[in-house]
Amino acid sequence: MTFQMTQWLGLVCVLTCFTKCVCVSECVADDKLALSVSIDQNLQQTFENVGVTPAPLVGDSEFARRVTLDLAGRIPTPRELKEFLADTEIGKRERLVDELMVSEDYAFHARNELDIQLLARLQWNNDWRAYLLQATREHRTWNRVFCEILLPEKMRPEDKGAVAFLKQRANDLDAMTNDTSTLFFGVNIACAKCHDHPLVADWHQDHYFGFAKFFKRTFATRSGLMAERFDGDLKFTTTAGEEKRAAFMFLNGESIVEPELSRSAEEWTEIRAKIKQAESNDKADPPPTPSFSPREQMVSFALDSSKSNLLARNAANRIWARLMGRGLIHPVDQMHSENPASHPELLNDLANELADHDYDTRPLIRGIVLSDAYARGSLLPDSAQLPSPEWFAVRAARPLTPFQYALSLWIASKNPDSLPGREKPADWPKIREQWEQRAEQFARRFEIPEEHFQVSVEEALLLSNSPQVEGEFLRNQSDTLVGYLQSVGDEQEIINAGFFNVLGRAPKEDERAVVRLYLGGRLDRRDQAVQQWVWALLTSAEFRFNH
Amino acid sequence: MKIDPSVCLTRRRLLGAAAIGASGMAANMAQVELLSQPAFAEQLQQADKSVILLWLAGGASQLETWDPKPGRPTGGPFAKIQTCIPGIEISELLPKMSSRLHETAIIRSLNTKIADHGQAYEVMDTGRIREPGVQFPHLGAIIAHELANSHSDVPDYVEMYTSTEGRRKGAAGYLGARYNPMFLTESMMPENLKRLESIRDADHQERADLQRYLSQQFSMKLRNPIVDSHNTAFQRVRGLMSSDYLFDIERESRAMRDHYGPTQFGEQCLIARRLAEAGVPFVKVARAWWDSHGQNFETHQELCADLDFVMAALLDDLKQRGMLERTLVITLGEFGRTPQINGSLGRDHFASAWSCTLSGCGIRGGSVYGKTDEDGKTVVEGETNAGDLFATILAALGIDPKKEIMLGSRPIPLADFGSKPIQEILA
Repeated sequence: MTFQMTQWLGLVCVLTCFTKCVCVSECVADDKLALSVSIDQNLQQTFENVGVTPAPLVGDSEFARRVTLDLAGRIPTPRELKEFLADTEIGKRERLVDELMVSEDYAFHARNELDIQLLARLQWNNDWRAYLLQATREHRTWNRVFCEILLPEKMRPEDKGAVAFLKQRANDLDAMTNDTSTLFFGVNIACAKCHDHPLVADWHQDHYFGFAKFFKRTFATRSGLMAERFDGDLKFTTTAGEEKRAAFMFLNGESIVEPELSRSAEEWTEIRAKIKQAESNDKADPPPTPSFSPREQMVSFALDSSKSNLLARNAANRIWARLMGRGLIHPVDQMHSENPASHPELLNDLANELADHDYDTRPLIRGIVLSDAYARGSLLPDSAQLPSPEWFAVRAARPLTPFQYALSLWIASKNPDSLPGREKPADWPKIREQWEQRAEQFARRFEIPEEHFQVSVEEALLLSNSPQVEGEFLRNQSDTLVGYLQSVGDEQEIINAGFFNVLGRAPKEDERAVVRLYLGGRLDRRDQAVQQWVWALLTSAEFRFNH
Repeated sequence: MKIDPSVCLTRRRLLGAAAIGASGMAANMAQVELLSQPAFAEQLQQADKSVILLWLAGGASQLETWDPKPGRPTGGPFAKIQTCIPGIEISELLPKMSSRLHETAIIRSLNTKIADHGQAYEVMDTGRIREPGVQFPHLGAIIAHELANSHSDVPDYVEMYTSTEGRRKGAAGYLGARYNPMFLTESMMPENLKRLESIRDADHQERADLQRYLSQQFSMKLRNPIVDSHNTAFQRVRGLMSSDYLFDIERESRAMRDHYGPTQFGEQCLIARRLAEAGVPFVKVARAWWDSHGQNFETHQELCADLDFVMAALLDDLKQRGMLERTLVITLGEFGRTPQINGSLGRDHFASAWSCTLSGCGIRGGSVYGKTDEDGKTVVEGETNAGDLFATILAALGIDPKKEIMLGSRPIPLADFGSKPIQEILA
């Protein structure tokens, strides 16, 4: 009993810390770029060791496109980009990053990224997305979000949103077990279910079933909330054929013992009856909660940094992977002794940075996007050998996520005069929300990028022949880019404006020549020619990727 | 490599409105594309083999089809009939098929264990038990991955699933979206295959040329297969659009359409044959809804008549065209039905002892593999499972079932680890 109380108090203690506001500027006041510098020093060491010359840093417009996609989930508006390019003061990139990180866009994009990480591949769930948006708008720390998602009945008792991660997997113990372990701790232990891991000495069947046992008693009530039973054991058969009872065991091999409790037969009958009620009747009272909650034990174990740093390491590695195109540990779910980080010290630094800021992810993200490593070019000099990707000597081109792509198509196809610059109007949050809703119909038709991502033929056909695409992105009206380009006088300017609005750059000479010929050969149907050229820009590979 | 626009443009009809079809720039671009993909030659695969999967959604009864038990308490009202192969008898509900078993192997000993629709689909779609965190590809995607020509003008994988019961879109999982199916539900013409009227055909072509020009400037320098997949997908658009006629059965003679019959299933199988003939590696046609918890016998009387007529028509047509030896026809569902007849004269879900068939390419026709007990309750000989079935299908097509795909550091064989082809029914 004492044991449990201490555990829960520990958890509560951690949770109270969440209310403390952590401000980015305060945290990094000492040296705002210390983390960025340390990232670059670390990578520089590799470049010297392997004798590679990293790609040069990109110019301002490429940087602005890249970082706006990564922090705001969309390309910059033409006006935002122009204002950034016109800024000649020192520290302009830092200012842009800081501006983006407090923007409305940041919360939407962070929400969409969390959804992709945790649920969107299995289910589209509006309540869940609303919960995530609330969390990202308030800049909730990662350990708090972790608690809310894994202990919804304790942290957010009436919330139908946060519950979705577990609820979607509630009927499948393996899914709860392995998805939690993979997505929150970077450890894919599925192989260890049937046999001790063939490649990795770290994972045995004991780990798999030990971790699964934390979820064994979890169930969803008929009304859609999560709860736990008071008992429930987990047995498994070893490869040697021996039947074994699983312990409550965390991934690092430490296990805990359930305290002995004696209940009378009547008490058991009552508890089971109430649980049965809650499972079968959506009007029933919430079921009683056991004093020993295995899932809560797992959560407090993960939060105790003296026992495990997997929560911070996984988050740091996944954030790095999202921004840099590849994890320091790659693949991101293979965090174990046989698959060391490409830069072990750097990963430690990043994980510590996160833990030191009470799991506020913003200082870490800021440090990465302001490093030289982040700002390297993705193009190689013509004949250079491709450097190994784990050196991070060249940027990896990353496919846009469904929302990044849909929102960017929407922005690029608008009349640039109708879009805001860096100074946003008073009703901007509302407008931004409308953009998000507008983008949804397309976002839901694009594939979520995976490791082996390929653009599908379905997508190419959609963009080539769908009336919705034509209606949404290629209309010839005053509020669209196509309409705007018709109003620009000189052909030189038209071509410049098209390239700048869609790709954020000036046309190269050969591109200008090709477009001029394309338009010039269609003087009898000028409107359509402009439409077709804008289509070619919007559907180009250059637009489809973050590079 | 720098592209000199004047080279490709002076010879081009991009400038004018008159050009139709392949243009100089496209050819030029194709060369650029080749140079940027040194592995291209290895990717050239021969799509000369095809699979047509007749998917019996909801689970057909093995007792009313391929493994009848008349006269037993579980047998139901229908008789069995002697087929053209001495010693092989099937249900009287499949009279046409009874005279066409020369090219067909019957498997009567599937024990796939899972008798719940949702999980059983996964097992029979992927040939494996689900594993959290791994998106296994469906059979169609595996076949497309192995057989499709990378720049094919026809689709790799088409699924027709008109009814809503049990509808599930096939998935390519870790093989990548390149191998996702064209999924036809409402209309038999794939979505977005037709050019909009607002753009003329020549412009549609040259707009694509312009896009390719702009895209390849970018992707050539990156040398990134993910970026290249964008160009590959768009390069296939025009070819796929020109394959729209394959979905149009009006182009078949009246006699041929009558041969397949007036049912939707028949028409879809005719489309499937047209697709296979044009080199589409995998076509799935779903026929629903076999889930006969009540009125099993009426349901099967109706559905088996359709299956018998259409399957026989398909095999005859394939054979007559000389296509059967390169086309594998599979009839399969997610499970079979209980020998026990329930109170509503229905049969329930049953995965312990059920049947499927394989016909044509690579199959030893006129064979039966496996045996169930006299009431059909258990497999007594040749027990087999989804993994073995997948291995058999792959082997019949000349694909090594043990071929491995690397998922990170983990090798995953095409057919489930430890599975083996059923040699007895392979040619």
